[in-house]
Amino acid sequence: MNPNTSVRLLVAVALATPLVAFCVGSGQDPKAEDWAKHVEKSCTSRRYGIRLAAARKVGAGGDAAVGAVEAYAAEHGANALPASLVDAIADSGQAGAKVSRLLWNWAMDPDFYWRASAMRGLALRVREYKDRAADGDAPGLEPAQVDYLMSVRAESDPSWLMRTHARLGLVLGGAGVADVFARPEPDPRAPVRLATLLLGAGVTPPLQPLLDALADERTFLGTPWGANLATESSKALRRWLGDAFPAFEAGDKQQAIRALLPVLQLRTDETLQPPATRADLVTDAAGGVELLSCKFGDQFVQWGDDGTVFFGLGGADSVQLAADAWRQLSEDRAAIALEKSVGVVICDSLRIAQPGTSTNAKVAPASMPEAAADWLKRLAAKLEEAGEGERAADLRRGLGQFQGR
Amino acid sequence: MLRLPLSLLLMSCLAGDPEPLGFEVLAGFDYSEGMALPKEVTAWDEKEVSIRGFMRREFPGDGPVNSFMLINDNCGCTGTPKMNEIVFCMLPEGETEDLHEGVVTVTGKLYVGEEKEDGVVIMIYQMDADTVSTTR
Repeated sequence: MNPNTSVRLLVAVALATPLVAFCVGSGQDPKAEDWAKHVEKSCTSRRYGIRLAAARKVGAGGDAAVGAVEAYAAEHGANALPASLVDAIADSGQAGAKVSRLLWNWAMDPDFYWRASAMRGLALRVREYKDRAADGDAPGLEPAQVDYLMSVRAESDPSWLMRTHARLGLVLGGAGVADVFARPEPDPRAPVRLATLLLGAGVTPPLQPLLDALADERTFLGTPWGANLATESSKALRRWLGDAFPAFEAGDKQQAIRALLPVLQLRTDETLQPPATRADLVTDAAGGVELLSCKFGDQFVQWGDDGTVFFGLGGADSVQLAADAWRQLSEDRAAIALEKSVGVVICDSLRIAQPGTSTNAKVAPASMPEAAADWLKRLAAKLEEAGEGERAADLRRGLGQFQGR
Repeated sequence: MLRLPLSLLLMSCLAGDPEPLGFEVLAGFDYSEGMALPKEVTAWDEKEVSIRGFMRREFPGDGPVNSFMLINDNCGCTGTPKMNEIVFCMLPEGETEDLHEGVVTVTGKLYVGEEKEDGVVIMIYQMDADTVSTTR
């Protein structure tokens, strides 16, 4: 079978599965459902599992359910829609005009918390839009319009998930996998996520990023993001390899990877290399901030007791602050000694942590205590003095939405 | 000798009581409603375990909680946690705990199996949590 045909079939099957499940499961006409009730339940039910089940039902309802979603958003604000509902709609496989327009509007809205999920939804539908257009049928969205959006967001969106999902759309829309993976990407989570999404959509990506992830043990201020990548990769490979996924004698992680490597090598022309364990580059961080923003992108900054400031999730880049500049900041570190979280975090958040102390708090937008905000602004100023003007500007931009009002 | 899949091998194997258990194992398979759960997870049913993760509230609100969700990812922006990516923790009656940021370690007895409400699966992992400790 032509590889392109295989991919089309796999994507079509993946997209159709939720619809089939809905039809078999409910046995009801989507038009006869009380969608307002299901949307309400997906947003407000006290039980997470019930919210999730209702969201899946709404997602499977396709165009018929869109009016109720829009009505809820109009009444409560789009950001009152939970991520689980947007994810369910994005992953539902429904590609009608109303669902497609809803996803488009969400993906285009910079203030919508879950715009990256909407982008993934568009990416997963790209091929269907193209196929329908090629067959002379009306696609849910114009393929050229979606292509353009993907091209722009793949390069320039500040959110790593937006870039990743746009790149998924580029590949599923026909761009070369190797070309897309070769694009510059500062976030180490991105290639792993893109590879796992592509495997799920029936496209074989470069496998080295997945292999490397298995040996990733990096952390950021206690968050084991490397181990999370390992889990994500392991799960995707297990799903892909099925029974070929190796079982082996209990032992060390590298031994496990060595057992997996030849199995993967049989499936690809790529020459795979056994990954070295990736441990933290920054082992003595005295503090740091983590800004997670669906809108402005994520930022990770750590500092050591000697005034070295590290940037990025892996802390690969750093700058040494002048001794005087750091001493002044260091003496005032009590200003950021937050022990309790501030505000209600829904999506964007800022975390301040000082390992070895009780400082580990999350701050919601518009909730940061003034003293902490001032300290971080002073840090940005010192970074600028140290020649890191761009990073200082990024930090100020990221801090903006968290300052108290 | 015991043969284990990669996900099990990747989990921490330190000895002790309670036994450490990781999300690599709990979330290491694709869950669908009604499926037979893999023996890698059913083997932990009714075991005293310690699990590291992030605390999230199940119900909207603020203040200390008597029950919470323990998840593997600290950013809601990366997707909706699936059922096998959440441990629903219940503290002893009358006890509450602040929601801590950063990684916490929760110890207690784990129960594995689908729990339904109104015909809908509302959890597959639940824990009678005895302690919650922060990692510094």
